[in-house]
Amino acid sequence: MTNALAPPPVGTINIVDPSPLNWLFITWNTMEEPIRIDEDGRAVMALAEDAEWLDDKTLELRLRRGVSFQDGEPFSAHNIKQNFDEMQRWAAPHPPGTWLNFPPESEAEVVDDHTLRFHFPGPDGLALGKMRGFHIASTAFWSGPDAPGFGYKKFGSGEGHW
Amino acid sequence: MIDEPGPWGTGPFTLVQGASSITTRNVIMTATPYAAAWLIESEQRTPELVLEANRRHWNAAIRGPRIERAVFRNALSPSEALDLCLTTDGEVDIVTEVSPADAARVVASEYADLVTIQANRVLTCIINRGAGDVPLSNVDVRRALNLAVDRQRIIAEGLAGYATPLSALTSPWCSGFPAGAAPYDHDPAKARALWESAGWPAGRPLRVATPEPFAGVAQLVASDLRRSLGIAVDIIVVPDEALPAGARALIEKKLPAPWDLLVHAWFDLSSEAPPAAVHREFFGTDGAFRAGPPDQGFDALYDEMKVQLDGARLVEVAERIDAYCFDQALAVYLCAPQALYAVNKHVSFGPYRTTFEIAEVTVNEQHWSRTGGGRTVTARADSGQPTPKESKPGFSGAAGNAC
Repeated sequence: MTNALAPPPVGTINIVDPSPLNWLFITWNTMEEPIRIDEDGRAVMALAEDAEWLDDKTLELRLRRGVSFQDGEPFSAHNIKQNFDEMQRWAAPHPPGTWLNFPPESEAEVVDDHTLRFHFPGPDGLALGKMRGFHIASTAFWSGPDAPGFGYKKFGSGEGHW
Repeated sequence: MIDEPGPWGTGPFTLVQGASSITTRNVIMTATPYAAAWLIESEQRTPELVLEANRRHWNAAIRGPRIERAVFRNALSPSEALDLCLTTDGEVDIVTEVSPADAARVVASEYADLVTIQANRVLTCIINRGAGDVPLSNVDVRRALNLAVDRQRIIAEGLAGYATPLSALTSPWCSGFPAGAAPYDHDPAKARALWESAGWPAGRPLRVATPEPFAGVAQLVASDLRRSLGIAVDIIVVPDEALPAGARALIEKKLPAPWDLLVHAWFDLSSEAPPAAVHREFFGTDGAFRAGPPDQGFDALYDEMKVQLDGARLVEVAERIDAYCFDQALAVYLCAPQALYAVNKHVSFGPYRTTFEIAEVTVNEQHWSRTGGGRTVTARADSGQPTPKESKPGFSGAAGNAC
């Protein structure tokens, strides 16, 4: 089924969500990650189409083609690298805590526009699952004096606001 | 988190009005290696937050979005929202985090249905294994506590039946659930025998702390412990204003905890490897909720799991971790509470086990937004405060600390 056959969205709903995680649910309904979690709680591919360990320290993601940000910017491996490098600036970027961190020695390498390799200092069986918390924002989100970043404009820092 | 609207993502909706953000405080467990979690100190939600369909979403054909617009009415309290959802069309279509205490009202509504899911949530009592004056480091004492509680009664009377009893911290539908695992029996005689052989100091009451939303559950736990073990049990209901300091002390682990058991809810954001987000948090060296010294047996298993690149092998270690936590009775395991929603009868909403996702939501032709109905009032002034907590059992009242 192609997107041309998708039924057009119709209707408005009003929601009240008292969850203390509402900030995260708004993020997840508007941004995406290399993987997502389906209704049963299972990891499925999202911005990545496939993931493969090339060796016990190198994880390769092959990225989905034909994806655009809501501002029209085409999505590519460069976006993943930009967001990864921004995240790695901080000691504790994620509200759930440092257990979601990638080690500081980790690097993201753009192989081509739709292939990216992560080089980790050691094997990390949780790496792909951690990427559920690795929100991929557009270039405009990060660049320029008025770009909000994750907390930059509001708090002056992205620490703890990923 | 996203602090202001804009076309920042690739997701099924675009944030076009408002924002939902939090202010956090870093709580450091160890400096080397650096291990920390964040406490949510306050929420900042605009009175209304609006999502609009991203019509160019790459997965629109299979997943969605199916609705044009979603409006989060953040100025309504949960009780106001539930009243509107149950008695009107056009005001509130979905209320999340419905308390089991309100479930019967939803079922009886002519405007809304009750939608439930077995969610990746746990309700447990943390055991203060570091308490200096009582033998909670003794596994027989911890087993006695587990044998003393009647999980079915707690679920029936405390959560209106909307929960699944747990053997440890992995729910039966998740990966890493040990085959054949069953909760501790409710066996007061065996519990009493283990308890009496362990040397609990005479006259020293057991202290059970709880946040206010779980006070009823704490009462049920306490009554089981009194009846089964023949001891006095004091309940400490922690007021809202004391929760941040209590949570911070628990995470930092410098100050001795003033309780023996703490009723605590937590959640997992996937079904794939529960020990990463759940067991580790309660028992691991870098666990935010670990009360007591690190457990070398647990840490060895966790270190084995986290380096497994083969999914099947990782799950096999996860099963051993859950079995270990059961055998060592590292907490008083209670249940997995369901997530409950009130949903307008003209809205089709499929809940997720882990999150609140609306890409697949649809409305039928009788829905107010398609027949010209709906509210005309505008949102109230922004209080800048989170929606009020309510003294009913439910996840919205659980501390969102560390996430």
